[in-house]
Amino acid sequence: MRRREAVQFLGAALALPFIPRSAETAIKLGEALHLRLADVPFRTLNRDQQALVTNIAEMIIPETDTPGATAVKVPEFIDLILTEWASDEERAPFLAGLTDIEKRAGTMGAPRFVDLPAAKKVELLTALDAARDDKSGAGLAFARLKALTVYGYFTSQAVDVDVLKTQMFFNGYQGNVPFTPAV
Amino acid sequence: MATMTYDAIVVGSGISGGWAAKELTEHGLKTIVLEAGRPIDPAVDYVEHVRPWEKRYRGMRDRKRLERYQPIQRHTGACDEYAGKFFVNDLDNPYSTPEGKPFYWIRGRQVGGRSIMWGRCVYRWSDLDFEANAREGFGVDWPLRYNDLAPWWSYVEKFVGIQGRKEGLAHLPDGEFQPPWELNAAEAKGREILLQKFGGERLITNARLAVLTENHLGRQKCHLCGTCYRGCVTLSYFSSVNATLPAARKTGNLTLRPFSVVHSVIYDPQTRKATGVRVVDGNTKEMFDVRAKVIFLCASALESTRILLNSSTAEFPKGLGNTSGELGHNVMDHIMDGGAVGTLPWAKDRREIGRRPDAIYVPRFRNVKTKHPNFLRGYGFEGRASRQGWERGSEMPGFGAQFKKSLIGDLGPWEMDFGGFGEMLPRHENYIEIDPNLVDAWGIPALRINCVYSDNEKKMQEDMVVTAVEMLEAMGATNIRPYKEDNPPGLVIHETGTARMGRDPKTSVLNGHNQMWDVSNVFMTDGACMPSTANQNPSITYMALTARAVAYAVGQMKRREL
Repeated sequence: MRRREAVQFLGAALALPFIPRSAETAIKLGEALHLRLADVPFRTLNRDQQALVTNIAEMIIPETDTPGATAVKVPEFIDLILTEWASDEERAPFLAGLTDIEKRAGTMGAPRFVDLPAAKKVELLTALDAARDDKSGAGLAFARLKALTVYGYFTSQAVDVDVLKTQMFFNGYQGNVPFTPAV
Repeated sequence: MATMTYDAIVVGSGISGGWAAKELTEHGLKTIVLEAGRPIDPAVDYVEHVRPWEKRYRGMRDRKRLERYQPIQRHTGACDEYAGKFFVNDLDNPYSTPEGKPFYWIRGRQVGGRSIMWGRCVYRWSDLDFEANAREGFGVDWPLRYNDLAPWWSYVEKFVGIQGRKEGLAHLPDGEFQPPWELNAAEAKGREILLQKFGGERLITNARLAVLTENHLGRQKCHLCGTCYRGCVTLSYFSSVNATLPAARKTGNLTLRPFSVVHSVIYDPQTRKATGVRVVDGNTKEMFDVRAKVIFLCASALESTRILLNSSTAEFPKGLGNTSGELGHNVMDHIMDGGAVGTLPWAKDRREIGRRPDAIYVPRFRNVKTKHPNFLRGYGFEGRASRQGWERGSEMPGFGAQFKKSLIGDLGPWEMDFGGFGEMLPRHENYIEIDPNLVDAWGIPALRINCVYSDNEKKMQEDMVVTAVEMLEAMGATNIRPYKEDNPPGLVIHETGTARMGRDPKTSVLNGHNQMWDVSNVFMTDGACMPSTANQNPSITYMALTARAVAYAVGQMKRREL
């Protein structure tokens, strides 16, 4: 089911301009397709879902003195995982849960989550955060979104290199170093 | 059909094959190592420093590719987005199991074999282990004892380079150790508490690891990147690629031939000796023979026996050297997936610098001094105390700026994990045979594996959960999470047995020097030779047995007895 949707999506974005007549042309066309694919980060989330996921991801990890989730392309990572990695059984409840989040926003007086005032958004996410163990619906979608946001954020190049400053070489192991949390 | 001639053939280049190659070549024998898989170039193939953002799924594994090409291999954690290339393609390397009785056969076919991805835990045995079969009437008695193997353990340990702490335990003898890493603050406190509460019976000590803490024989000390299973550019952990094969190459006596899939051993009924092996070229699939005076089968427990089962003759219709009827029988693995995790209340103001590859070990304490009512033999725990850092974020309540700041600036509490590794009993009814309807990608008849855990292992696994929880409770841990998973055998990747050593040719395949009773110039020094498997990780014992067997074989050759 998902494969078909992806094909339709690509079909719309990448309508073949001509039929290749030689191997060389075919290769060039392939490369062009590949380049254009790279410009199309969202293959599963539609525009409304992108806006919702982006808004929530940025609320989970906002920009402060370090980049936020959007700056390091967490929404694109989430779409990649939904498109290529997740099974149908994982993807469908997640997308249904996003719809539930929008419904919850509707009961709070806005057409969509992104239209809610900031305080209402925080109120809703606080409720969803308390419902992370739910097996379906808005709570489940938020739990997945939170896990993918944290993972996608901290495994991004910018955060790994500039924020965590991950080191690969140590001159010996120390197991008892004083530590004061910076929070 | 082309033929090549050498003094010695080694089949396989993993832990045992690497040692056989080193020892044979250092004794002056022109030796060919036949490796089924591809060559490995550390500069290109090692990927321990690749970061998640360099991989498409950021280290979350390419699930669909795994499901398609590695449906068996994917069950082991190391077969991931980085190191999956070191595990076999299951479509090319099929085997069968009876309905409802799976066996996860985890394999690495490349120069170095599984010594590239191994866990690097190295523990000696004691006579508690060597005497267990005879004492309890399981399998056959080991034809050797601790004192027979102790000098060989010392010999290989000095070359391997092992980080460990001397504890003076009779049932887990100390070896030749480099200075140990310190236990981290949480583990050190755990050790103190357990010493007090269990009187030394349950002990937290350093995991003994084939990883260098000091430069050693041209290899550099560990740089603590923490992902050994993907390779090591500083050659700090022991593997065939990092240590034994370079030593063998230095002698000028080594020929290493990758893409050489050994089909069978060629037997001469006149001399009652093997003349060589039949090989399928991994790329061209052409067959050729290699001849030699002596053959070391080191292809891994099940592969080496598969070769013999595929080498039947009129004299040996059920597999070469199978007069005893035991060839293929007594498959063992270990049992794991029993244990517990808990949150420690202390040492919040302490952290680690550097990522130790493995951390702690709790030596066996069951059936050592007292007898346990529910099961024979015992188990040890591997484990560590660690702080999760940002990875706790998906479980931690909250979101927003403060949440983010805490994930970056704090490390979370120490979590202590104890995971049991227990002994599996040798049973005749656990066996491998050739599946008459299945061949691999090279046309070689494949295995059917019949192996299940018995009640003894399952009761042991239940006890692992109980004692892990007891230790965590003694340490004052909170949020204790016991775990027990019902995985099939194979997944511990310690498969052994199938061509056991023994004192009697009527009941064993190999004598006390890993030499086939029936075909005296064939030696098996991988896991196939084991009459029992103790609870310790097995590789260092294969290394010691290999070095000892080579010395014996060379002695026999010098006396013209081979």
